[in-house]
Amino acid sequence: MTENQKKILEMLAEKKINTDEAYRLLNALDTADSGSKESPKEGKVIGGKAKYLRVTVMPDPDRPNSEHADRVNVRVPMNLIRAGIKLTSLIPGEATEKVNEALRDKGINFDVRNVKPEDLEELIGALADLEVDVSSAHGEKVKVFVE
Amino acid sequence: MNRPPMVMRIKIQNPQHKFGLWLPLFLIIPIALVVFIILSPLILLAVIFLWPRGWGKTALLAPWAAWRVFCATRGLKVDVQNPRDCVQISFV
Repeated sequence: MTENQKKILEMLAEKKINTDEAYRLLNALDTADSGSKESPKEGKVIGGKAKYLRVTVMPDPDRPNSEHADRVNVRVPMNLIRAGIKLTSLIPGEATEKVNEALRDKGINFDVRNVKPEDLEELIGALADLEVDVSSAHGEKVKVFVE
Repeated sequence: MNRPPMVMRIKIQNPQHKFGLWLPLFLIIPIALVVFIILSPLILLAVIFLWPRGWGKTALLAPWAAWRVFCATRGLKVDVQNPRDCVQISFV
């Protein structure tokens, strides 16, 4: 029994509240407790910083010959992504132009000079909500998530 | 900044070959540092030579950036396998 439940029962015993009110209060407490204790979904980041980007490719166990399929399990630290993106600041102006041009040729209108550390943190923070779950026709399950 | 990885583990396995390696990076780092100190005059020369072309800053900051990327590899794990082949690389 929690401290709050005990208080509610004491108030009922002292007739400060009636049985209906006590019932409602206890119900409200239960709801609040179950909400706060709800187990986090697998791979989801609850509070704190995301540490790893995970990519897994697993065969569907229900498919025949699934034991012969490839299995991939990659775990990339977020710090490595940060460090990698920060390398763009080392690219000299002349080369940056070429990179931007190559990106434009591929249909990506993006200027790598605009990548700033604060944007980077925002981008990585947003990755915490990323979850990709693909089931292919060949019986492979591809998952990309952050943990 | 993160602590650098202490050990790199590589395991490659196929029906013909089996190869496994635990590379103690904590022993290699001091050796790399000595090599870097020995080569630093050459790096400085390269920086001076490349500065007018716009690559000087890159050459100057590249060793530091490489060190940061190396430190960030701690926790990296790649594991690809099927019944015949297996490739595992991890930084601990």
